[in-house]
Amino acid sequence: MKLAGLKSKENAHEESIWAATWVPATESRPALLLTGSLDETVRLWRSDELDLQGTNTGHCLGVVSVAAHPSGVIAASASLDSFVRVFDVDTNATISTLEAPPSEVWQMQFDPKGTILAVAGGGSLSVKLWDTATWKLVATLSVPRPEGSNKPADRSGSSKFVLSVAWSPDGKRLACGSMDGTISIFDVARAKFLHHLEGHFMPVRSLAYSPVDPRVLFTASDDTHIHIYDAEGKSMIGAMSGHASWVLSLDVSPDGAAVASGSSDRTVRLWDLNMRAAVQTMSNHTDQVWAVAFRPPGGTGVRAGRLASVSDDKSISLYDYS
Amino acid sequence: MVSVYIPVQNSEEEVRVSLELLPRDASDILDILKAEQAPLDLWLVIAVLKTVSVLQFFDSRFREYFKQGKIEQFRQILEEGSSPEIDEYYADVKYERIAILNALGAYYSYLGKVETKQREKDDHFILATQYYNKASRIDMHEPSTWIGKGQLLLAKGDLDQASAAFKIVLDDNRDDNRDNVPALLGQACVLFNRGRYSDSLELYKRALQVHPNCPASVRLGIGLCRYKMGQFEKARQAFKRALQIQKMLRLLWPLESWICKQMKAADETWKGMEKMQKAFEIYPYCAMALNYLANHFFFTGQHFLVEQLTETALAVSSLGLMKSHSYYNLARSYHSKGDYEKAGMYYMASVKECNKPHDFVLPYFGLGQVQLKWGDFRSSLSNFEKVLEVYPENCETLKVIGHIYVQLSQTEKALEVLRKATKIDPRDAQAFLELGELLIQSDAGAALDAFRTARGLLKKNGGEVPIELLNNIGVLHFERENLRLAGLAEQTFREALGDGVWLSFLDGKVHSPPVDSDASSRQYNDLQFFRRLEEEGTAVDLPWDKVTTLFNHARLLEQLHDNEKASILYKLILFKYPDYIDAYLRLAAIAKARNNTQLSIELIGDALKVNDRCPNALSMLGTLELKSDDWLKAKDTFRAAREATDGKDSYATLALGNWNYYAALRSEKRGPKLEATHLEKAKELYTKVLVQHPSNFYAANGAAVVLAEKGQFDVSKDIFTQVQEAASGNIFVQMPDVWINVAHVYFAQGHFALAYQNCLRKFYYNTDTQVLLYLARTHYEAEQWQDCKKTLLRAIHLAPSNYTLRFDAGVAMQKFSMFTLQKTKKTADEFCICSVTEENTIDFECLAFDALYVPVRSTVAELKNAVRVFSQLSTASSLHYHGFDEKKIETHVGYCKHLLDAAKVHHEAAEREEQQNRQRLELARQVSLAEEARRKAEEQRKLQLEKRKQEDLLKQVRQQEEHFKRIKEQWRTTEPASKRKERSQMEDEDGRGEKRRRKGGKRRKRDKKSRYEMDETEGDMMDGEMEDDDAYVNNEDDGNRMNDQEDDKADNNAQVLAAAGLEDSDAEDDAGAPSSNINRRRRAWSESDDDEPSVRQLEASPTRENLAEFPGSDGEA
Repeated sequence: MKLAGLKSKENAHEESIWAATWVPATESRPALLLTGSLDETVRLWRSDELDLQGTNTGHCLGVVSVAAHPSGVIAASASLDSFVRVFDVDTNATISTLEAPPSEVWQMQFDPKGTILAVAGGGSLSVKLWDTATWKLVATLSVPRPEGSNKPADRSGSSKFVLSVAWSPDGKRLACGSMDGTISIFDVARAKFLHHLEGHFMPVRSLAYSPVDPRVLFTASDDTHIHIYDAEGKSMIGAMSGHASWVLSLDVSPDGAAVASGSSDRTVRLWDLNMRAAVQTMSNHTDQVWAVAFRPPGGTGVRAGRLASVSDDKSISLYDYS
Repeated sequence: MVSVYIPVQNSEEEVRVSLELLPRDASDILDILKAEQAPLDLWLVIAVLKTVSVLQFFDSRFREYFKQGKIEQFRQILEEGSSPEIDEYYADVKYERIAILNALGAYYSYLGKVETKQREKDDHFILATQYYNKASRIDMHEPSTWIGKGQLLLAKGDLDQASAAFKIVLDDNRDDNRDNVPALLGQACVLFNRGRYSDSLELYKRALQVHPNCPASVRLGIGLCRYKMGQFEKARQAFKRALQIQKMLRLLWPLESWICKQMKAADETWKGMEKMQKAFEIYPYCAMALNYLANHFFFTGQHFLVEQLTETALAVSSLGLMKSHSYYNLARSYHSKGDYEKAGMYYMASVKECNKPHDFVLPYFGLGQVQLKWGDFRSSLSNFEKVLEVYPENCETLKVIGHIYVQLSQTEKALEVLRKATKIDPRDAQAFLELGELLIQSDAGAALDAFRTARGLLKKNGGEVPIELLNNIGVLHFERENLRLAGLAEQTFREALGDGVWLSFLDGKVHSPPVDSDASSRQYNDLQFFRRLEEEGTAVDLPWDKVTTLFNHARLLEQLHDNEKASILYKLILFKYPDYIDAYLRLAAIAKARNNTQLSIELIGDALKVNDRCPNALSMLGTLELKSDDWLKAKDTFRAAREATDGKDSYATLALGNWNYYAALRSEKRGPKLEATHLEKAKELYTKVLVQHPSNFYAANGAAVVLAEKGQFDVSKDIFTQVQEAASGNIFVQMPDVWINVAHVYFAQGHFALAYQNCLRKFYYNTDTQVLLYLARTHYEAEQWQDCKKTLLRAIHLAPSNYTLRFDAGVAMQKFSMFTLQKTKKTADEFCICSVTEENTIDFECLAFDALYVPVRSTVAELKNAVRVFSQLSTASSLHYHGFDEKKIETHVGYCKHLLDAAKVHHEAAEREEQQNRQRLELARQVSLAEEARRKAEEQRKLQLEKRKQEDLLKQVRQQEEHFKRIKEQWRTTEPASKRKERSQMEDEDGRGEKRRRKGGKRRKRDKKSRYEMDETEGDMMDGEMEDDDAYVNNEDDGNRMNDQEDDKADNNAQVLAAAGLEDSDAEDDAGAPSSNINRRRRAWSESDDDEPSVRQLEASPTRENLAEFPGSDGEA
C-alpha cells in the first residue's frame, strides 16, 4: 500500500483549485479528471500526463464542487453563486442549470445508480435531491434542528449548516456533514432522517462510505481527525489523527483498504485502515489540499490505481496507488 | 637449632645454651655468665646476638624474648651488664659497654615507641636518652650511639635532630662510616617521613649495595618508597624479597595486601585480605592492620566489624595519622549507614587528627559530602576545594564542586568546573549527565550533546541507562529539533519506556474502543476499557518511574498531531494514577482543540476534584468559560486562579487583563466611561505582569494593544515590533497575534503592508478567515477590487456559514462595478478621441471596442453577482438562522433591494453607454473607411465598400445574436433589463442604418431589408429613445445620488450591525469620505482586534502547560 508521485501540473488553473473528481471511463475514452477552481473555470484533464482536455467557463464566483455521473457521460459543477451547471462531459453542452434558492450549493454527489444528484444545501440545513432524468427537485432532506435550541446558533457558524454529502455504495443511505461536526444519516427511499453521528465538533467538510462495506463511513473534520463510524449502529469505530490542521477532503480507495486525505497542513496522507495509522505523507503541495480523489476502476484495460490531489497552490498532483 | 656457647673460664669447654630453650629464669644464665667471667660481648650476644642493625634487633632477637614474654629477663641481663660493677670490672672494654648501653637505649626507645600512654612513653624516652648519653660519655665518636640517638629522635618524631644525628655518623670520615648502613637507613627513614621518597630510595639502595645481605627492613624501605612513588609492581617485588628474607608478617602483609588492592586485581585483593588476616592473628593490636581490615570489611559491608576494629585501632594507636584513618573508617561506616550526624562527627575528628590535607585527604571529602547533605554548602565547598588542592584533577571532587556551585546558583562556575571534569575524564558518564542537566536551561543543544555522550558511555559500559536520562534526551530532542527529528525523540522515549502495555497502543495493535455515537461526550470515562483489557489477561501496568516519560511521550505524540494515541496514553496514566492532574489537563486541551467544550469542562472538573486550587486547571477553565460566553464565571475563575498562586502566576493576571480588554470592547452599549475604566484596568493588570516578568511577551502585547486602542500608535508599534522580534527568536513561543497587531498598526497608519499575508502563511495554514478578512480589507482600501473579492471568496470557502463574508463580497463587487463604470466612461472618451485623430486604425478601433465592451460586460456580471448575493442574503436571513434579529434583517433586506435597483440602473447605464460607444465607433469607422475608399477607383471602391459593409453587417448581426443568446441564457432572471438591452441594440442598428441612408442611396435596399425586420418596434422606438435619453440622464443622477444614499445607508447599517457585535468588515463605507476615515480605521482596528486576542492569547495555554511540564520532568531526572 503506497503512493508514488507520477505527475504534478503547476498552474493548472489561474487560481486556487477547490474541487476535483474523476469522470468514469466511457467506451470511447478513458477516465478524465475534472477540476474546479476559484478562477471560475472547470477543466478536464487526461491522465497520466495531465493534458488539458477542455476548459468550461460560465460560472461566476469560485467553483466549489464538481461531481461526475457514474456513466461518465455527464457531470455537474457548482459555484459560490449557488448555481449548479449540469453538462455533457465530451461536448461541454449545458444540459441543465439547477438552483433552489435560498439554498446554497456545497458538495454534490451522484448516487451510485446515477438517478439522483444530491446537493448539500448549506444554510438551508438540507440536502436537495435532483432527478437526473427530468432535472427536477424530487426531495429535500432536512437536518432536524437540535432539540431545545430555539435560540439561533452563535454567529461563528457552528450551526447545522450542511457542507458535505455522501451516498452509501448501495444507494440506500445518504450521509451529510455539517459545520458543527454532526453527521446526519438519511434513509433515501423514505426520504427520512434516521439519526446523528457525533464525535466531531468542528466542520465536517468531506465524508465517504467504504465501497466494500455499506455500513462504514469515513469523515474528515477541521478538528484534524478522521473518524470511522458504523453509520447504522450509530457508533464510532475509531479515530485517526496525524494531520496538523483541518482535514479538508478524503476519499476511500476502490479496494476499501486505504483512505487518502488532504489537509490544510499542505499534505496528502494515506491511511492504512488495518493499522488505523498514516502510512505515507506526501508533502509536494505548497498550500492547502482541497480535494483528493481515487480514480474509479474500469475503462479500457486500465487497472492501475490513481489518486489525484488539488490544492490552493493552483497545482494538480497525480499519484500511482498500489 | 640456634644456640650460643659460653666458654667456661680457664678451659676449652663451653656451655651451650640453646636459644629455643632459654632458661625460664634469666638469672640462670646470668649466673653462668658471671661465674665464668665470660667476655662481655657474650653478654650482649645472649641478649642481643649482636646484629648489624638496630632495626634487626627490634625485629628478630629482641622479639625472641619479647615473644616469649621474657622482656624482664632481657632487661635484667642487660642492666646487670651495664651496672657500675661491670663498668669497673670491664673498664677497658669500651666498645662492648657502649653496645650494651646502646642496646638498653634502643630497648627503651622501642618501649617508648610502642607505649600508648603519653607519660610512660616520655619516661621510656628519657631512660633511653640517659643510656645513650652514658654511651656517648664512654666514646663521643661511637657511630652506633649516634645511630641509636637518631633512632630515638626519629621515634620521638624529631626529624630534624634525627637527621642531624645520622648526618654526624655519615659525615664522620674516620672509618668507613660514609657507608654506615644503620645511619643510611636512619637517614632514609627521615627522608621518607619528609616525603622525599626518591632520595630515601637512593639511600636504601646505597645501603643495599654496601651490605647486600642486609636484612629485610632495607627491602621493606625500598618497597615503601616505591609504593609511595606509585611503582606498585616494584614495591611488591621488594616486599616479596623482604618476606623471603624474613617473615615480617605484621608489617608486610597488610602492606602487600594494600598494594594488591591498589592494583585492583580482585583475586589478589582476596589474597591480600588473607594475608592481612594472618597478620591480624599474629598481632592483634597493630593499628595499621586493624585499619586495613576495617577498610576491607567496609567494602564487604560488614559495618559492625568495621566499628569494632577501628575502635580497637583507636585504642591502641596514638599516632595522629593512624587515628585519623581510624576515625575516617568509622565515619565512613556511619556515613554509609546513613547516620550523617555521627559520620560528620567522626569525619571532623579525623580531619582534626591530621591537620594537613596532603597527608590524608579522604576525611575532607567525606566531611564535604556530609556537609553537602546538611545543606551547608559553603563549608562543604571549602572542604572539597581542599581535596582539589591535593588532587587537582579528581573528577569526583570536580563534579561535587560543580554541584555545589549549581546549588549556590553560580551557574557559570559550575559549568566551568563540570566542563573541566568531563575534559579530564571523557568517559565519566555521570559528569556528562550533570553537565547536561546544567546546560538544559541555557543551551539545549549542548545539553543534548552531553546527554547523548552520557548515554553512549553508559551503553558502552554495559550499564543500564537510567530512564531519566533517556527521558531528558527525548524531551530535548522534542524541544530542540523542532520536530524535524521527532523520530529520534520518539525512539528515545520508547527506549526509556521499555516493554509494557503502552507498546500495543503505540503500535496500533490495540485501538480505543468503539464509542456509541450518543455517548461520545462521556468518552473519557472509558477507563472501563482498561479494565476490560485487564480482564482479557493483558497486564495493564505502569511503573511509577515511567509515568513522566510516558506523559512526555504522549506530549510528543500530541505535538506530532497523533492525538488519538496521545489520548490513550493519558488515559492509561489516569487509570493507574488518577491524581495526575497534567494528564487531565492535556486531555482537556485536546478536547478544547477539537472544539468539544463540554467534554473539556468535564475533564477540568475532574482535575479540580484532585486539586481545586490548581492554577493551570483554573486558568483553563476560565478560557473555556470565555469560549462558551460565560463572562462573569470566567472572571471569577481567573480570579480564583490568581489567588491560588498569590498573584504570582502571571497567566491568570494576564487573562484577567484580557478579560477587561474584551469587556471594554464587547459591551453592547459602548459606554465610553465603562470602556475607559475597563481599558485602564486591563492596562494596570498588564503592567503588573510586566513588573513581575519584564520579558513577558503576552503582557507587552496586551499593553501595546491598550495603547493602540488609545490611539498611541507609534508607541504600540514599537512594542509590537520588539515583541515580534523577540518572539521570532524563540521556538517555543509563536505569537501570530503580534504579527497581526503590527499589521493592524501599519494599516491604521495607512501603510497597506503585506503583513497579514505573512501572518496567514506563517501561522494558520491559511485557515483563518479573520485574517483573510483583514487582508481583504487591505485590498479594499488599496482599491484592488478583484484581489479583495478573491480573498473574500476564499474566506467564504473556508467559512461557508459566515454570511457576513458574503455580504462583504457583495459590497466589494458592487464597489468594483461602480468603479469600473466610472473608469470606462473616461477611457471610452479617450479611445474615441484617439480613434478619430488617427487614421487607418480599424484594428485599433476593434481593440478599443473590446476594451470598452469587456469591462462593461464584466461590470454588469459583477453587479449581477452582487445582486444575487444580496438577494440570497435577504432570503436567507428570512430563515432566521444566522442570528440577526428581525429588525436588522429588515434593514438588510431593504438595503439589498436598493442595491438591486441601483444595480439595474447601473446595468442599463452600462448597456446604454456600450451602445453609444459602439455607435460612435462605428461612425468613426465609417469616416475612415470613406476616406480610404475615396483614394481608390470608383468601381473598385464601390465593390469593396459593399463587400466590407456586408461583412460588417453580418458580423454585427452575428455578434448581436450571440450576445443576445448569451445574455438570455445568463440573465434569465432579470428579464426587463435584457429586454431593454434588446431594444437598445435595435435602436443602434436603426441609427446606423439611418446614417448609412444619408451617405449613399445605393445601399438602401439592403438597409430596408434589415429595417423591415425591425419595423415592428420602430414606431415606439423614437419616442422611447427620447424618453430613455432623459431617463438616462436622470437615472444617472439618480443612480449617483442613490448610490450615495445607499452608501450612507450602508454606513448606517454597518454601524447598526457593528453595534450589535456583528463583525462587519465595514467594507461598505464610502472610500471618498476622508472625514470618517480615522473613525473607520479605528473601528476596523478595534474590531479586528477584539476577536484577536480572545482566541489567540488564550490558545497559548497548552503551550504554557508544556513548558510547565517539562521542567518538572527534568527536575525528576
